[in-house]
Amino acid sequence: MIRDLLHEIYSTLRQNKLRTALTGFAVSWGIFLLIALLGAGNGLMNSFSGNVGDFISQSVSVEGWRTSKPYNGYKEGRIIQLDQKDLDYTTGSEWQGVIENVTTTTSSTSATLVVGGKTVGGWFTGAMPEHQAQFKIKMAAGRFLNQDDLRLRRKVMVISGSQAKELAGGDDIEKMIGQWISAGTIAYKVVGIYHTDESDFRRSCYIPYTTYKGIYDNSDKLESITFSLNGPVTLEDHKAFEEEYSAAIKRIHDIAPDDRRGIWIMNGYTDNLEMAKASNILDIALWILGLLTLISGIVGVSNIMLITVKERTHEFGIRKAIGAKPGNILTLIISESVTITAIFGYAGMLLGMIACQVMDKTIGQDYVDIGFTQIRMLVNPSVGLDVALEATLLLIVAGTIAGIIPAWKAARVKPIEALRAE
Amino acid sequence: MALIELKDVNKTYQGAQPLHVLKGINLNIEKGEFVSIMGASGSGKSTLLNILGILDNYDTGTYYLDGTLIKDLSEKQAAAYRNQMIGFIFQSFNLIGFKTAVENVELPLYYQGVSRHKRRELAMEYLDKMGLTDWAGHFPNEMSGGQKQRVAIARALITSPRIILADEPTGALDSKTSVEVMNLLSKLNREDGMTIIVVTHESGVANQANRIIHIKDGIIGKIEENDKHDAWGAELIK
Repeated sequence: MIRDLLHEIYSTLRQNKLRTALTGFAVSWGIFLLIALLGAGNGLMNSFSGNVGDFISQSVSVEGWRTSKPYNGYKEGRIIQLDQKDLDYTTGSEWQGVIENVTTTTSSTSATLVVGGKTVGGWFTGAMPEHQAQFKIKMAAGRFLNQDDLRLRRKVMVISGSQAKELAGGDDIEKMIGQWISAGTIAYKVVGIYHTDESDFRRSCYIPYTTYKGIYDNSDKLESITFSLNGPVTLEDHKAFEEEYSAAIKRIHDIAPDDRRGIWIMNGYTDNLEMAKASNILDIALWILGLLTLISGIVGVSNIMLITVKERTHEFGIRKAIGAKPGNILTLIISESVTITAIFGYAGMLLGMIACQVMDKTIGQDYVDIGFTQIRMLVNPSVGLDVALEATLLLIVAGTIAGIIPAWKAARVKPIEALRAE
Repeated sequence: MALIELKDVNKTYQGAQPLHVLKGINLNIEKGEFVSIMGASGSGKSTLLNILGILDNYDTGTYYLDGTLIKDLSEKQAAAYRNQMIGFIFQSFNLIGFKTAVENVELPLYYQGVSRHKRRELAMEYLDKMGLTDWAGHFPNEMSGGQKQRVAIARALITSPRIILADEPTGALDSKTSVEVMNLLSKLNREDGMTIIVVTHESGVANQANRIIHIKDGIIGKIEENDKHDAWGAELIK
């Protein structure tokens, strides 16, 4: 029966090629704009999260900060240094199951790296293997620190791409892997080089936490505590967690409970949530714009269908006389409407996706200077399968809506009146 | 029971000036009859035909078609009865212009949900009976009036209806083609036993029927038995 219906629709649409084409264009245009807008929006968000996302980690970092209020006999302006007590609290039973993968870094020590007559400055930081994942450190060559490095207190290090370039005297940074670099009186073997952009001049060199503690700092002082969270979901959850956690740390260090400084919590989760929220708002705004455009297309289809129905009244009279039920007529008109909308809508969707590709190849390749680094305007401006499916569903719904009123009119007309119509 | 039984059927068109078009019609038509209904325009003959064809409702009285009471039907029910029991032939053919002859003939079966293949087979069979096999793929505007009316007859016959209702079937045809079409209808009546009701104001056409019902001012006047086909005006068609 579907095939028959399609044949019916085809033979009527064939009758009015120009009209069908004009109507279809309105729908194509609507969907085209919707897809192109969403694609550009996605490109913008991808660019944003791609660039900013490099620095946002799925983790919480806690560091000491200068206090801003006097408390308990201490003057304001005291520098807080995290230590083993904070680490014990963080890993303690209070947060069991919520705080996971706790790592720490040591404070940093400046050093001069020397190899083969070339020198470059750097900051040594003692780190743990998990540091890589928590701070999204991308490796350009070699590996990051591992557990054996820590256990055996190996004298190995991971240097930055820019340092490697300077030491290698060119782009062939691979050859630095395995080289021994002297820093002061101690030589370290390079096991890895982390990726840095053209504009990124980070100078941190990571050595095993235990190695650092043994050589540069045998106190229990910590530079930072980093951990992942398994519990808070919403922004409010995270706020509550931060309040409770910082209150405890403030107690440990005699910081005024209402001091907004003293300790600094960088919560990558909330940053991600904020960004997702921004992305959502942009998405909704673009959908609304696209839908408004599509509405004009739907009104167009509805309008044309109304005229068509009026012109075809006599034909419907014939159909009814020979046995077409009102439901048959209703189905016919709505399917015609859905067919026009779907076919032209799909064409528009395809063109929209092509437009996204064109955007990718043109303005997508442009870089914009945002001060500390350069970012690409659009990264991979495209819509996903989900949007394509949503748009398909939307087209079917739109076609039905456009067809309902004309179809209702056509189905309701009495056969004798319809037969009289010319 | 007769195939068609009308008892005291009344119909008034409501409006600023209500118009009482049918004023108590009593009529029985047996299976296998060839009846013509004659009357001047405004006599109510078209309204009667519309009621017989379940295209219109009536106000009071009863109408039994093959034992089924046809009264206050829903649009859906009416459509189903029209589809199964009645074959229409119209003055202006009423073929669908963008469908070929065979597609037009198939259409009533489409609404019965008959499969595509079966439909095509039956439609070709009926077109063949009408001598239009070669014209199956043509559109109505490529055919002559006589051919179009024969396509319409094939369409009316394809569902094997109880009655054929023809509303001025020769009104748009020249005299020679008129004779051909009327002969075709007589032949259907004689050989296949098809019950046929023709509404016309041409006495020559009416004369083909076995019974001529004259309707005037909404009531049935004279009913002529016409087995010999010698009613007045018969010479007009000869």
